[in-house]
Parts: sequence; structure tokens; C-alpha cells
Amino acid sequence: MGGLGNNFCNLPSTSSEMTCGSFLSQQQRTFIQMRTVLKVVDNSGAKKVMCIQALKGKKGARLGDTIIASVKEAMPNGKVKKGKVVYGVVVRAAMQRGRCDGSEVKFDDNAVVLVDKQGQPIGTRVFGPVPHELRQKKHVKILTLAGHIA
Amino acid sequence: MRLEKCWFCSSTIYPGHGIEFVRNDANIFRFCRSKCHKNFKMKRNPRKVKWTKAYRRLLGKDMTQDSTFEFERKRNRPERYDRNIAENTLKAIKKIDKIRSDRASDHIKNRLKTGKIQRQKEARKQLEQDIHLVKAPLALAQDSSLYLPKIKVNVSQTRTEENQPMEG
Repeated sequence: MGGLGNNFCNLPSTSSEMTCGSFLSQQQRTFIQMRTVLKVVDNSGAKKVMCIQALKGKKGARLGDTIIASVKEAMPNGKVKKGKVVYGVVVRAAMQRGRCDGSEVKFDDNAVVLVDKQGQPIGTRVFGPVPHELRQKKHVKILTLAGHIA
Repeated sequence: MRLEKCWFCSSTIYPGHGIEFVRNDANIFRFCRSKCHKNFKMKRNPRKVKWTKAYRRLLGKDMTQDSTFEFERKRNRPERYDRNIAENTLKAIKKIDKIRSDRASDHIKNRLKTGKIQRQKEARKQLEQDIHLVKAPLALAQDSSLYLPKIKVNVSQTRTEENQPMEG
């Protein structure tokens, strides 16, 4: 599970265990910014991608935003190669995003679908769940390719 | 708008509350508040956490089977809006709620009944045995109204007999 990364830590301090534990076990999830490594969930050939710019947003990109990224890891024969600069749409973000009915959604990891400059996905399949925030952002093609819409 | 159930504690989640967590295998977990969310992150099993409905139902502390639960089944078909139906539904919701809560409290009362009877029996026994802590036996012997009718016959005889050697 994503949120348990910091659970197992030794606390030598004498302060109360409860407060220290609760502070450290809650990972504060933030925006997707420069140097954030994201998983690629389509079959475009890339595996991992590092964000170099979040278009729109001073603090960073969130669920449904587009980013510019550099391919760090790729499958040997794929449409994109390592080192290429690509655009991507964030389809899963660990940071919660508010929905219009007031609730919040969060996913397990940070994932991106590579698109071209016009916003059309490069790959032909999308893996894992995607949020329906994409409909509002006009990424309908990704929604049609998705197997599951959260 | 749909009222969901919290995955951990099974309480209703009203719109605007709570967090929805989507796992990569597309399972959706809804939590009513951060308490449930944090317990989930700790990987606690709600069936073992005493304050959740899951635990209570599993151990039979709360009502599990009732016809009023049929009304709350999830229906995936959207209904065409009809004013009369909506009005009747709202009235019915109130009534069904009341019936369900009455039945649930009856269930709990019945469950606790045996304990109550046991406690009353023990209290009566203690009263018989330890009445001397409250009132002196001599006073009890003189003022017969303080006796429980049951022990009135037995005790008065033996106590007066016992007291005489004690005082002497």
C-alpha cells in the first residue's frame, strides 16, 4: 500500500509515540512537479517518465493535467525511445483531488498516458483505472481506451 | 447523488464528506472520515475492530437479517422522476427508518436481557447475605418492615438467638 512507506521507523525520542507515529505514517501527497517520476500506463513503449514541466499550475500538476516529460525507461521496441521529450496526461495521482460534489478521490500511484501535442494518445491501450475528470478536460479518447473508469 | 457506505465502519457517507481511494486493481474504497481512512492505511481488518458495524454484525451484537434491509439494496437502474413516487418514497424512508431502528434496539434489548436478570438475581442474593452491612441485625429484628418478605421467617429466629451470646 502506498501510504505505509514511512510506517516502520525507529523512534528513539521520548516524546509520545502516538503523535510521532501519526505524523510520520501520514505521507503528505503533493503535486506532480519537475523531477517527479511517473509510471506510463499505455502501450506506447515507455515505462517510466520524469516530469520536466507541469503546464498550467504554479505548484505543479494534478489529476487530469498535462505535463511535459522526458522518457527515462522504455521498452526495447516501442514508439517512444529513452530520452525523448513527450507530453503526458496524468491519469492517476496519489494526491487527492476534489470532485464537484465535495468528495475527494485519490489513487495508489502517479501514472501518465503519453499524448501528442494535440492531446491524442500515442498508445492504443490504457491500463488500470482512470478518473472521469478526464471528460471535463476533453480527453475523451483516453476514456474510451480505458478499461475501468473510477 | 448517492449515499454510500463507509468501507471501514459502514456508516453512511453524505455528499461532501470523506475520501474515495481507488486502488490500481480498480477496487474503490470509500471512507466517511479520516479515522476510518487511517485505520485502513494501517491495514486493520474492520471485522476485528470493535466499534465497526462489521464487527458487531459478525458477533451478532447488531441485527443482521431483517426485511427492512431489502429496501436499502443498491439499484443501478436510474428511475424516471415522478413527483408522486418521490413523495411516497420520502414518507416511506422515514417510516422504514423508524421501524428498523425500533427492531434493532429490540434486538439489543433481548440480547442484554439475560444479563439483566442475572444481575438482579445476584443483587437479591447479596441483599439477603449482606444486609447487616447496612442495618444492624438487632434493628432489623425489631423493625420487621425492613425485611424482604422472603427471608422474614428464617432470619428473625436465628439472629435473635445468635445475638444473645454475642452481647453477653
